[in-house]
Amino acid sequence: MTYIKYFPVVMLLLALGCSKDFIEKEPLVGTQETVFYQTEEDAIFAVNSAYAALQFEMSGAGHFRWFWGDIMSDDSTKGGSGPNDVNDLLLLETFAGPTNTDLLESEWRADYTGIYRSNVVLQKVPDIEMDETLKARILGEAKFIRAYFYYQLVTIFGDVPLVLEPLAPSEYQIGRTPKAEVWAAIEQDLREASEVLPFRSGYSAANTGRVTKGAAQAMLLKALLYQQKFGEAQPLAEEIRDSGEYNLSERYEDIFTQEGENGPGSVFEIQYMNASGGNWGYNQQNEGTFTNVFQRARGQFEGFGFNIPTQEFVQEFEPGDPRLRATVFSEGDAMGDRGIFTKEATGGFPHDYYPKKYFNNASEAAPFGDQAPNGLSNDRVIRYADVLLMLAEAAYHNGDEDTARAAVNAVRARARMSATQPVLLPIASTGPNLLQSIYHERRVELGLEGHRFFDLVRQNRAAEVLADEGFTAGVHEVFPVPDSQIQATNGEIVQNPGY
Amino acid sequence: MKRSLLFCLLWLCIGTTGFAQMTVTGTLTDATDGEPLIGATVLVKDSSTGTVTEFDGSYSLEVPDGNAVLVFSYTGMQTVEEPVGGRTTIDKALSSDAELLEEVVVIGYGSQKRSQITGAVGVVNAEELTDGANVRVDQALQGKAAGVLVTQNSGSPGAAALLRIRGISTINDASPLFIVDGVRVEGIDYLNPNDIETVSVLKDAASAAIYGASAGNGVILITTKGGKFNQVGKVSYEGNFGIQTVGRKLNLLNASEYALIQNEAYVAAGNRPLPEFSNPAALGEGTDWQDAIFGDAPMASQQLAFSGGSETSSYLVSGNYTLQEGIIGADIGENKSRFERYTARFNSNHKLKDWLNIGNRLSYTNFNRNALAENNQFNSPVIRALNIDPVTPVFKNDGTYAYSRYADTDIANPVNAIEQTYNTWTNNRVVGNIFAEIEPIKGLKIRSDYAGDVSFAREDIFLPRFDLSRDTMLSDAPAAEKNLINTVVANRYIWTGWQWENTINYTFNVAARNTFNILLGTTARANRGNVTGASGTNLPNNDPDFAFINNTIDLENRRSFGYVFEGAGSSIFGRILYDFDDRYNITASVRRDGSSRFGPGNRFGIFPAASFGWNITNEDFFNVEQISRAKLRASWGVNGNDRIPDFQFLTVIQPGQNYVFGPTESITNGSTPITASNPDIKWEESTQTNIGLDVELFDGKVELIADYFNKKTIDMLYAVPIPFHVGAEPGIQNIADMVNTGWEFTANHRNRIGKIEYNVGGNVTFTDTEITSLGNGAEPIFTGRIQSANANAIKTDVGLPLAAFWGYQTDGLFQNQAEVDAHAFQNKDTAPGDIRFKDLNNDGVIDSEDQGLLGSALPDVTFGFNAGMKFMGFDIAVGFYGTAGNEIYNNTTRYDFIYVNRPNTVLNRWTGEGTSNSEPRVNIEDPNQNARISDRFIEDGSFLRMRSLELGYNLPAVILQKIRMSKIRAYVQGTNLVTWTNYSGYDPVIGQVNPGQGLEIGIDYGFYPTARGFLVGLQAEF
Repeated sequence: MTYIKYFPVVMLLLALGCSKDFIEKEPLVGTQETVFYQTEEDAIFAVNSAYAALQFEMSGAGHFRWFWGDIMSDDSTKGGSGPNDVNDLLLLETFAGPTNTDLLESEWRADYTGIYRSNVVLQKVPDIEMDETLKARILGEAKFIRAYFYYQLVTIFGDVPLVLEPLAPSEYQIGRTPKAEVWAAIEQDLREASEVLPFRSGYSAANTGRVTKGAAQAMLLKALLYQQKFGEAQPLAEEIRDSGEYNLSERYEDIFTQEGENGPGSVFEIQYMNASGGNWGYNQQNEGTFTNVFQRARGQFEGFGFNIPTQEFVQEFEPGDPRLRATVFSEGDAMGDRGIFTKEATGGFPHDYYPKKYFNNASEAAPFGDQAPNGLSNDRVIRYADVLLMLAEAAYHNGDEDTARAAVNAVRARARMSATQPVLLPIASTGPNLLQSIYHERRVELGLEGHRFFDLVRQNRAAEVLADEGFTAGVHEVFPVPDSQIQATNGEIVQNPGY
Repeated sequence: MKRSLLFCLLWLCIGTTGFAQMTVTGTLTDATDGEPLIGATVLVKDSSTGTVTEFDGSYSLEVPDGNAVLVFSYTGMQTVEEPVGGRTTIDKALSSDAELLEEVVVIGYGSQKRSQITGAVGVVNAEELTDGANVRVDQALQGKAAGVLVTQNSGSPGAAALLRIRGISTINDASPLFIVDGVRVEGIDYLNPNDIETVSVLKDAASAAIYGASAGNGVILITTKGGKFNQVGKVSYEGNFGIQTVGRKLNLLNASEYALIQNEAYVAAGNRPLPEFSNPAALGEGTDWQDAIFGDAPMASQQLAFSGGSETSSYLVSGNYTLQEGIIGADIGENKSRFERYTARFNSNHKLKDWLNIGNRLSYTNFNRNALAENNQFNSPVIRALNIDPVTPVFKNDGTYAYSRYADTDIANPVNAIEQTYNTWTNNRVVGNIFAEIEPIKGLKIRSDYAGDVSFAREDIFLPRFDLSRDTMLSDAPAAEKNLINTVVANRYIWTGWQWENTINYTFNVAARNTFNILLGTTARANRGNVTGASGTNLPNNDPDFAFINNTIDLENRRSFGYVFEGAGSSIFGRILYDFDDRYNITASVRRDGSSRFGPGNRFGIFPAASFGWNITNEDFFNVEQISRAKLRASWGVNGNDRIPDFQFLTVIQPGQNYVFGPTESITNGSTPITASNPDIKWEESTQTNIGLDVELFDGKVELIADYFNKKTIDMLYAVPIPFHVGAEPGIQNIADMVNTGWEFTANHRNRIGKIEYNVGGNVTFTDTEITSLGNGAEPIFTGRIQSANANAIKTDVGLPLAAFWGYQTDGLFQNQAEVDAHAFQNKDTAPGDIRFKDLNNDGVIDSEDQGLLGSALPDVTFGFNAGMKFMGFDIAVGFYGTAGNEIYNNTTRYDFIYVNRPNTVLNRWTGEGTSNSEPRVNIEDPNQNARISDRFIEDGSFLRMRSLELGYNLPAVILQKIRMSKIRAYVQGTNLVTWTNYSGYDPVIGQVNPGQGLEIGIDYGFYPTARGFLVGLQAEF
């Protein structure tokens, strides 16, 4: 029996001996970084993840483009179930701006998530052995996406930290970069992107939705116009116009239908679909947009009733302008096949109008998951009409009134196609009246598409137009930097003046 | 008494082989009540000679000689050895086992006499665990031990309780480690409380340190019942049945009051009131939605156990069936809120040789749980019932469910929502271990124990098609009131885990007064989870019985997923227990743990501990007659915590960051490293010092225990927010520190006066928790989303209590415009009747800078006490527990909607100067944001609850003899009969929405209230 006592001791030693390897585990789901970024497919997956950030609009809290562009302007008001429903939006809308709102925080965060993912592509993909043309395109896509997010940041917040590669923990604590440098980075990215990205026509159908040379040029055009670099802007706009890639052949009211997605006038759209199974929450998994449900009326229309068009906005339309009916619902209108717009049917709210461009029909409702948030409408970020109106503005400031008028009239001519009566006659105005015509045309053509507030700011008209809403010149051109970011950097990031 | 007779015959056959030199007779009685013990075993030690006692407790046994030793044993009693010493009559009174258990305490990898314990160990015994209608073991611990806070996470049947030992000492998951019969298990949902022999709670670091890395939140050691050697076979039965009801109903507005308030709120905002509310009185009472969702729910339990043992084998076989229906939805549909559990257990021990023992513990549990949405401010039945207007009826005239014309999105008809819920969670779990122990030389025990834990679970969800529209062609119902395409979800989970533990335990004496016990051991364990799920939509047949994915017809919408996770740990440990002359006890232990959760450089952590005990009463100089025992204890130790997600030390590329490309909108994969990795991540460490004093007075009639502890947790693992411009999600870092200090006091008194035996006892715990560091430049952590205020209610920051409520402080109401004008600016439309918020920074504007501390969800004091009495076969027992000094955020009214119903306190609203200084005016626009996070919603969460009250009657022995039983007891029991609290909601016991999110506590998100129950039951044994 004596040997028995040694047996467990041997067992103990065995258990000890194997213990070290035994607790080394490898992830079985997900790929370790050390074995990724090796193939062409990895490169495509990497850049796709940057695209995914474009879809973020409820990442944390809502930060839709139309929150900033429309609700902050004189075109629409918040809406919702009442003032306590996303109250921060009401405070921002009245320029009583809270500095700690999760709406702006989510915007800031989502933008930098896209920038980070683009930076990862720009850091990792160059070393992958793959087709050089495809590699150049992927790097161009990443640069576009990075520039797009910096454009969002610089127009919403002003100076922001400029991060052009993934940061190590020791580099986290940085302050804001002057916006001139941010603009320079945006311009450089977009110029480089437009040199390597294919035209829209150069992509296969399966790649519809990827950013194009035209998109990069138009984004650069927006950036130049925001900086009032009209001299550089005009030839760029003309190049887009002359590329033959885009036209105004579609009827205005068809642009915002499902069939109208990625249509002949589409320069840059954020792609959404309604069947991805996503739901509320940090919307990494969700390929649908929340815009549809947020903007639909409440009551039997099953929406949340945000972004209520103002009377003033409706009055901006010329009598008989068919674009009004394509932009807003008025009482008595059929809201798709969901029923007729009455106050009672919309939940008893006193609103006279609801936004229409991102309305979708019950028959298009999402088939899976929570139906409501899984909207299908692509976000039309840059349309060809926008390019033409930017051309008009640049040309006007360069003294080229003929080009300006021609561009405006092209836009009006297309709108006229939808009218039964002779309306929207060509403009012949000159001088300051021409500028007002351009401004008017922008407001009605691009109404409720997320442009108005930023247009007013860059045109130096915000203080005048938004005075009633509480806008103060020198303060409210940009929104407050989220308090949390000031704290997280120990004050390296400082607040915008006036907040 | 056939069995006894058979037994006697058996013994006679065997017993006649010896020499019958003398006969000993006597009577065995129960020491507590003097009643005779029937069927008790009397054995001659180290022989096979024995007998059992007669109906009157008498026995007669022939013994080989006058030097023999008799062994008296009886179920539930201490076994006593008595040398015959030449006597012919030996009467013996046996004491109950419970007293024995107080003396020997289960500790990690062994047991110790109470007097030798040097750490802080709380013990809860079998009889204390079955004092209420406890469906789960964790519930049963409520109020039983100092320093152990058990919070019912939800009143829904089968819901897990939250256990916190000595408060919260980590911002991570603060749940303790569970060790059942030596096996580390995740969750104790599979255990049947009736199967538990004893629970030891290792509270201080020194006691817990033998479990090292995982013991930072304390350890709960559970020992299941087994048979006993040399015990006559015993059959015990217990059955009970009862009914549960909701303990309290809230006072809400009725229909006419609702219309009155709505009209006023519309007018105040400059809107026309709704025409149908023009005559509020005509609307009458309207619908009582609380009555509509709550009902009387049955509960029942049946338990049968067989146990016994020969000289070399002992066994226990038990089976149990438990059913608890939920009080929500009890009258709606079938099986909407329900818990049903079957357990089977087989425990055995065998002495194969003098030097070899083997044994096993094996349990199988099948449980089924049907759950409604709960603890959810968006879609739980409670929130819906409290918020839907009372004007809407439950049913339309045609008998189908109605929808509210006023409510939309979240606030749907709760009765219909319950009706349409088909959620089933079924788990089959087997937990078992086998062991062999050899004792090659006296005192040296070498043991190997292998355990397995396997669960096969399935989750089946069916979302049926329904439409509450008045006109289905028009489909006029809001989105939450219809679901036009049905969906079936089927998820399958397989969890497997094993543990192999080898220990050497050597007890020896050096000289007469030095006793050593040395323990050395190793543990290896691994676990793996495998999850596969699928879903499909559009089943032509809307019957839940046919809800299978193959019956779905939208083939393109069939989806599936699958993933796996693994973990492993490896440890070595050692401990020395040293006892000098029953006066000084020293314990020292160390454990080295390895975990797969850390990178190569930090895989192993070392966790030492030491403790000291001094039995003052055993000193020669000590001579106070009244003090029968006094012991001073001191301990120090280090524990760890590794409860973080796997692979935080690696950069992992996550797929699924998808985008949509192409004219057909194809979902196209995107992959990126979402989370910033931290290769340097290491163990979270807590260091705890404990000083304690145990005093026993008057021969054990009074027991007093006091403990002071100070627990510092450093390098807490937390994904602390990083600047967003980094772009990646924050990785987990060793970032925060906290300190947790407290006092615990326990007092027990038991005595007998004449034929009355009674006991009273109580425990109270004071804890104080503070975050001391959140790392360099770290922001405070905000949690506790309040939808109606669109903000977070809880702030965790240095210098604040953990998870402090943070918001605006109110200062009454503005009574007139002059007061509005005189105060800091709140909103341009602020008017008399609105809340005046304090301008904490005195800058003349009320903004986010004016938020301050509103309270804390963590109680300052937790307590429990109990009392019992036995007299003439009757027994009565009562148990209480409660907390004090904690606040609750009452978030049960959805002020973000204008149409919701609300507590009828709004009837006392401000309607003119001097009418109210607390209940603000009503206005659907609420321009002053009276619904913002403020102390308006913070309520005192202190409570005292009568947790259980039980009255039982034991049939007297005289009758038992006639019917050949050893015990028959009938009882009636009430649970949660009375709760004293100022909290205005259903239940002051507020759990956590997500048990893993320790910073989200004390917010009433519409918690499923704990039911009040009445039970009748019967226990029988033979």
